[in-house]
Amino acid sequence: MANIWVYSEDVSLAKELVTAAKQLGGEVGAIAITEEVANGVAATGINKVVYLKGEATWAEAYGKEIAAVLTEEGAQVVLVGATPKGRAVAAEVSALMGTGLVSDAGNLAIAGDTLEVERFIYGGLAVSHEAVAFPAFATVPARSNDPAADGAATAVTVKEVAVANTVTVVSVESANKGGVDLNKADKVVGFGRGVEGEEGLATMNALADVLGAEVGCTRPIAEEAKLLPVERYIGISGKQLKGSLYIGVGTSGQVQHVAGIRDVKTVVAINSDENAPIMAAADYAIVGDYKTIVPALADAIKAAK
Amino acid sequence: MPKIIVCYKWVVDEQDIRVNQGTQELDFSRTKKKISDYDKNAIEIGTQIWEKNEGSTLVAVSYGDGDVKSSLKDALSRGPEEAFWINDDNAAQADSYVTANAVAAAIKKIGDFDMVLCADGSSDVGNQQFANRVAALLDVPAITATAELTVEGTTITAKRRLGDQFETVSVAGPAVYSVLPEVATPRFPSIKQLMGAKKKPQTEFSVADLGLDAAQTTPKTTVSAVKGYTMVRKNIVFNEGEVADQVKQLADALAKEGLL
Amino acid sequence: MDEERFDAIVVGAGLAGCAAAYKMVQEGLEVLLIERGNYAGAKNMTGGRIYTHSLEKLIPDFREIAPLERKVTKEKISIISDNQATTIEYASNDYKENEESYTILRGRFDQWLAEQVEEAGGMVVAGVQADELILEDGKVVGVKVGEDDMYGNVVVIADGVNSMLAEKAGFRKPVTPEQMAVGAKDVYELSPELIEARFGQSEGEGTAWLSMGDVTRGLMGGGFIYTNKESISVGMVVSLAHIGQSDKNIEEMMNDFVATPAIAPLLKDAKLVERSGHVVPEAGFGGVSNLSGDGYVIVGDAAGLCMNLGYTVRGMDLAIESGIHAAQTIIEAKAAEDYSAAALKKYDDRVLNSPSIGGDMKLTAKFPEFMETDRIFKEYPQMVNGIMHDVFRVNDQGAEPIMKKMMRRVKKVGIINLAKDGWKGVHSL
Repeated sequence: MANIWVYSEDVSLAKELVTAAKQLGGEVGAIAITEEVANGVAATGINKVVYLKGEATWAEAYGKEIAAVLTEEGAQVVLVGATPKGRAVAAEVSALMGTGLVSDAGNLAIAGDTLEVERFIYGGLAVSHEAVAFPAFATVPARSNDPAADGAATAVTVKEVAVANTVTVVSVESANKGGVDLNKADKVVGFGRGVEGEEGLATMNALADVLGAEVGCTRPIAEEAKLLPVERYIGISGKQLKGSLYIGVGTSGQVQHVAGIRDVKTVVAINSDENAPIMAAADYAIVGDYKTIVPALADAIKAAK
Repeated sequence: MPKIIVCYKWVVDEQDIRVNQGTQELDFSRTKKKISDYDKNAIEIGTQIWEKNEGSTLVAVSYGDGDVKSSLKDALSRGPEEAFWINDDNAAQADSYVTANAVAAAIKKIGDFDMVLCADGSSDVGNQQFANRVAALLDVPAITATAELTVEGTTITAKRRLGDQFETVSVAGPAVYSVLPEVATPRFPSIKQLMGAKKKPQTEFSVADLGLDAAQTTPKTTVSAVKGYTMVRKNIVFNEGEVADQVKQLADALAKEGLL
Repeated sequence: MDEERFDAIVVGAGLAGCAAAYKMVQEGLEVLLIERGNYAGAKNMTGGRIYTHSLEKLIPDFREIAPLERKVTKEKISIISDNQATTIEYASNDYKENEESYTILRGRFDQWLAEQVEEAGGMVVAGVQADELILEDGKVVGVKVGEDDMYGNVVVIADGVNSMLAEKAGFRKPVTPEQMAVGAKDVYELSPELIEARFGQSEGEGTAWLSMGDVTRGLMGGGFIYTNKESISVGMVVSLAHIGQSDKNIEEMMNDFVATPAIAPLLKDAKLVERSGHVVPEAGFGGVSNLSGDGYVIVGDAAGLCMNLGYTVRGMDLAIESGIHAAQTIIEAKAAEDYSAAALKKYDDRVLNSPSIGGDMKLTAKFPEFMETDRIFKEYPQMVNGIMHDVFRVNDQGAEPIMKKMMRRVKKVGIINLAKDGWKGVHSL
């Protein structure tokens, strides 16, 4: 039985990590830096919950205290939610403890005194099988596991710590100009360089409306053509979709883009080039000019509904 | 007037990697190397801050095997005044733990700094740990996922993109910043910058120079296998008949899967 | 050195540019060599063989240090029509040192040559484009590279077949489609042992194999095969003026070519690792217009220095030689501090009087025209293969006198045409 600890600043992700930890088989402990997360994760009935109560509002400031708890508890495996803040905390704590860390890990398993995982490298082109010696850290992306169900709540151990913010937080604002988060969208119509200008965007919007989908794009459309905000690009360094449907229009299918749609249940490609790499990543495809195909498809979908 | 150290990684260009369709082995035989794409953004923002702030300094640091030497001219043509590189024969096995140990030791040797810049992750293995590890070893804060970075006098302001939120922080003392691609668009060095790069100083460190012990250079993470990733998809192309027929077949297929 | 002024700026790090730069640097000149590709050779797909007489003058110990693939000891020429091929093979170990030729991969070779320039002390900058020449009072004084103006006493224009620099400045006429051909090349990886076994050669020896006829669907052009150390370069060249007449594109032609019975077995199980296309000059001496002027010289392909005789295709040796002549002229110009048109005219004289450029090119100037005849690529291959077929075919119909067999084939083309072309062909050489 391994001694497994989980940490996330996000309560639902913390509960997902509990599921992952239980699957590995072991005693599960959790560290929280807010009362909300502490109580939320305690509700799942794990072995131990340590709530680090400090003044700091900046999660990144708690690295040394988290390291101290993990050392004291003799943690063998530490799972951290792979949010930007979670990644930062995991790497810092791992460095402080002089341990190994694997990022965005999947297919976790324990073999002897190592943690074995799979992760994507080279922009999603390949899967790397890696092993980390105990104490082993891994960050685990959101929505990789179901949140653990609530059970008999664990008592929360509150530990007062003297932690102040190491930087000044000036402001926090929403980054979603359109008010949507593509990560959570069930259906997405995405487009790439094959689609031109505002007119092309209108064509995409029309199809998305019929489907009840959100509209996304490839990185160049957001960063160079600037047709959509940066929050809307899909790929390894952008949004990673987990929904049921993705329709890619005029996207060549670069590996970095495809990495953002690999978890979508059904992928459709509409492209003028039958040899475009997106074809290999699609369940269904139509080859031709999007200007005629997309409006026709919108009509056909209306009719089929 | 910040003293800036920008870190970059010399990586295999993933566009040149081929996957053997039978064995799923990766074929690196025709690959070339490049400065990791995202690191070019980091070098660029470093150069822009350096250009705007009279009296500031900018140097580049890299870690890898002897091959890193061929990256220095490219890096220096992008702005840095001087390049430091750590030559480690075992760099191919290095994980983020080893890399950060080496670079942090090199930074201590280089001297005082106000800003250490790097990318959020590399375009090859993308571990996304380097900034925080180096910061922990140097005992300074790390500001990751930086989308905008400005220097006003002695105050540095960073706007971080954290999922669906922007968090703006201001930093007074030395810190490590990892940046997102949107922070700055890399330049195409001009001929004069390329020529100038050849005259800039380069300093090589060995692992021994940095006083690293065996434990610090032994990776904690090992890679047992790397295989090409193939997505299992249906790959059905509707190419019979007119467009009207094709879209109908597609709509029917989607309806059948309960997606409409 | 005056920081802002080079003795010479060489635009284009191909063979001609590198040769000129190397020679000048060796003589102590301050030279800037600029290359548009990310490295020298990055843009070069020439399928190839280099005759090394001029390389030897530049780098005497090239045999030890240059990235050569194989020494050509076997020459083959095939005449292909439909499913037939007649091949002439000549194997020789008797080429003297200055008659040798080697197969090379230009991506590697050019990079190596540019490194020699840099090691000798030249300033080599890749990844930048020279947009245009800077002229002052009709005199070339430098080149514009992006936002920077680079100044030099002489600009060596070595930017290849589509020399935009020379054309923009009006130093040469735009190249016409008749003077150009489209080339396509595949590189197939194969083990050295298999290459040597399939081509019947010893270790380190290579084959240069040209073919003409139906390889190009009866259009102007031909095919080539060169064996490298661990790969085989296979390609074809079709006249730009003719390609539109075919119902196939160059890629389809290429697929047909590698599938022909004479070639397919050689490539069996070899892995296609690279397919590329490029415009190649075919004009011969008729393509050379202007070689120098006030403050500039034009070298290599940019000057139209290439020779296609059907049985040998040359350009690389001419490029290196023209680069050496350009360098020699500029070295003298520097000594005399005279970079005028009159001083640089010596380069033209050197080139035109060189036995291996001027001499050979004048001698063969009419050959490209001769090669333009449709009959050369279509009807004659059918004739030759038809004759061979008749000679070697045995069936139950009994034998026919050989002369009768031949005449039936010859008549199809026309005796007058054959005599005319034969006369023209011999006299254009």
